Parts: sequence; structure tokens; C-alpha cells
Amino acid sequence: MRFSASQRRLIDFFFPAESDSWLAILRIGLGFQVVLYALSLLGEAILSLESFLVPRLGWFVTLGTRVGLREETVLSVAWICLLACSCGLLVGVASRFCAILAWFLHLCAAKSGGLVSYGMDNFMTIGLFYLMLSPLPDRHSLDWRLRKLRVNDPQLLGFWRRVLQLHLSIIYFFSGLTKCLGTGWWDGSNVWRALIRPPFNIINPEILATWKYLFPLAGIFICLLEIGYPFFIWNSQTRKIWLICICTMHVGIGITMGMYLFAFVMIVLNVAAFGPRLGRMECRTTNLQPQKAVS
Amino acid sequence: MTLGKKRVYLAGLALQLFLIIAVSSRDTFWVLSKSRTVFPESSKNFWQQSEQIASTALGQRLPRSNPVRQILAGYLHLSGIEVGYGFFGPNIPNSYKLVFELRFPDGHVEYELPRVSNAASVLRVAGLLDQIGRTHSEAFRQTMVRMLADAVWREHANATTIRAIFGSVILPSVPEFEHGKRESYEFLYAYDFSVSEESTEQSAP
Repeated sequence: MRFSASQRRLIDFFFPAESDSWLAILRIGLGFQVVLYALSLLGEAILSLESFLVPRLGWFVTLGTRVGLREETVLSVAWICLLACSCGLLVGVASRFCAILAWFLHLCAAKSGGLVSYGMDNFMTIGLFYLMLSPLPDRHSLDWRLRKLRVNDPQLLGFWRRVLQLHLSIIYFFSGLTKCLGTGWWDGSNVWRALIRPPFNIINPEILATWKYLFPLAGIFICLLEIGYPFFIWNSQTRKIWLICICTMHVGIGITMGMYLFAFVMIVLNVAAFGPRLGRMECRTTNLQPQKAVS
Repeated sequence: MTLGKKRVYLAGLALQLFLIIAVSSRDTFWVLSKSRTVFPESSKNFWQQSEQIASTALGQRLPRSNPVRQILAGYLHLSGIEVGYGFFGPNIPNSYKLVFELRFPDGHVEYELPRVSNAASVLRVAGLLDQIGRTHSEAFRQTMVRMLADAVWREHANATTIRAIFGSVILPSVPEFEHGKRESYEFLYAYDFSVSEESTEQSAP
């Protein structure tokens, strides 16, 4: 079968031979995120009714009561399983199994409390969804080192990294676009409102008011950073500065608005998607060899 | 990896990206049809129609029991892409506050806020209050307030009545703040719960 040049470019774009550094960052980062999430977990039992396919903790509770287990026992077991698989992800033991279980249990917990879930839950689901589908284990995991498990397809690693990169680009584009359409981000009033709005009001407004001249700059900076993300993060010359700025923005959001878990998961996703080509990691050689393209 | 396999992966990716863009567009159009933006008021009809088109593409105008709708909705939730990404855009709305007034048999009164155990829970409860404040369903609002009141009641089992007062927090602008204005509360709803009664009474502004 013959390829045209454009088809070849398309295939090369979506299936670049890639090292697994990004996957290690995603696995360890999300493992740590799930640990933090498990420690902050609430035990709500509000049901999501969007689709019968959406899992929830109520399934386990119903199952448990049929075999004589109390609701508290079932929820405790689910919580311990979530914590255990997050530790498994951190060190890379049974990576695939832990990724699937972490995704499933987190989803159950998030959907059981659907009305009290927020953006962080969605980003955790997205990260864990891609993690469990990616070719685990990576070479930094114990699975690789002790059990000698190997993944032999660097193109598949490249493909899943592309998926994450494209998804993040869409996320920031829409987030930036929506902000740009409101007048409050251009004059800085939305920055002020975001920082004094309960429950994000962790900095004294008296102090904030002294920074009032920075708000329009911050508002415009955030708008341009987000809407420009899909254009500048792909360019090798602007990627580093854009990644640093976007991570700095999330650190700022975490510190000034108290959204620590949200900030952390966003930084993990960004660094996994676009980080490994920066700095030292790029210089590391990988023992994965790209396969010959089949034509 | 064989070419056939790559094609399957690319088809999956195309579907995934289509769904992400459709959901993001739907939510963006919804926000534009409801909020004050740089576009004229007359454009709101256009945004509403656009939102409906995006909803149709996602199968959300099919009957709730339709298997296609169920499968699509299920997949969106499983992959975490069921909502868009218009965080804090285009404008930041006022937040809501819920205060419980507890009356005890000896006549004394205590005031409580919804119970939270950590910083993450604060964000979750705030999100729930936003949903209670924005909903048009009185039944939903009442059910949610009752659930939050139940949690407070478990901590104060000897209280005889609980009044849940729900209000909007009005935020000052920077110049208003500098002139001494602070955040204020606008009363929206109140619900009375008592030990003996199951029913609730509501008073509105």
C-alpha cells in the first residue's frame, strides 16, 4: 500500500517513536495525586443518574449488603483499595492493574458525589483514563526493574502522549476563549473577584487591594496564556516558556485560591504531556527501539 | 505496529477529539447564551441554537432511555470529558452562603455553617451551594438543603428546630472595597425543619 506524503506526515505526527519518560511522570504524579485525593475523600452517597453505565460506590454498597457487609465496611474497603493502588502507581508495582483500579475507584467516588465534584475530579479521571490505556509499565517502575516486564512499542507511547497533548490543547483553548469573551478578565475585575470570592478568599482583601494595578495585567496574561496554549506549546521555541508560565499560573492558583489538588493534577498533566522534551530528560537514551513502519 | 492497528487507533482518537470539542462547544455556547459577554444581547438566540446543535451531536436530545444516549453519556463520564472547560469564564458570579440557625429546648440559639473536614471539602461544598443557588428546581433545592441540614442535625441531636437560611454573597469591586464596602448577603430562601415534622416551610424574599 502506498502512502502519500501527507498521510505519512499524519502517521508520523500521531505515532512518533517516544521514550516512556512522560508516562513515568504521569504514573508517579497521578499516583501521588490519588494518595492526596484518598486522604481528602468525602463519603457522600449522592447518586448520578446520567447513565446506568456510570459507576458509583452505591454498586459496592448494594453488593456488600447482599453478603452481609455494612455500608461503612464496604466504603472503608473501597477507600483502602484506592490508597493501595495509588501507592502501587507511585512505585510502579502492577502498574496496569493499579491504574485501572485507581481510575475505577476514583470514578465511583467522584460520581457518587456528583453534585459535590469539581474540575479536579474531571482532570483526575482524564489523567487516569489515559494512564490505564497507555503502554505500562515504564522503565522507572518496579515492574520494569524487578519483574522484567517490557513494552515493545515506542510508537504506541508516542500515540498516547499525543492524545494527552491534544486534549490539553483543547482544554486550554476553550478555557481561554470563554474568559476572553467576558469583559471582567480584560479590566482585571475578575481576578479580584476570583481572589475574594468564598471559598477562595484565603488572602486578606486589604492586601489584595494594594495589588490592584496588577489585576488587569494578570487577567490579560491568563487569557492570552490559555488561548495561546494550543498555538505556542507545539512550537519548540516557545514550548518551554509556555509550559513554565502555565505551571506557574497553576502554582499561583493553588497558593492564592487554595486549590492545591486542582493545581497539582494540572501540573502533572502538563509536565507529562510537554515536559520530557525539556532539559535533562531529553538527553536520556531509551532502550526502546522504534519498529519499522509497515507499509 | 501494523497500519491496520494504527487506523483503529486514529479512528478512536478522532471520535475522542470530536466528543471533547462537542462537549466544550456545547458548554461554551450555553455560557454565552446565559452570561453577559462582549457579544450583543441579540446574539443569545444564536448561542442557544448552537448549544442545541452541539447537544444533538452528543445525543442529548434523544429520549433519556435511548441506548445511544446512554452509551454516549456513559463514555463521556468514564473518560472524564462530560463537562466543558469554561472555568471562571466569561465572568465570575457571586457565591452563595448557607447558614443554619439551631434552636434548643432551653431557648438558646446557635448558628452553624455546613460541616467540612478539609480544604478540598470546602471547595466541594461551595460547588454544591452554587448548584443550589442556580437551580430552577425548588424540589432539588429543598432536598439538597435538607441533606445538609441533616448533617448538622446529627452533630446537634438535641436541637428542636433548624432554620436553613440561603443567601447570595455580593462581592464589592476594588473601588467599593477601598471606600469601605465589604461583602454583603442577599437573602434568597429559608427553610424550617423541626424534629416532629417531616415537612418543611419555605419563606422567600
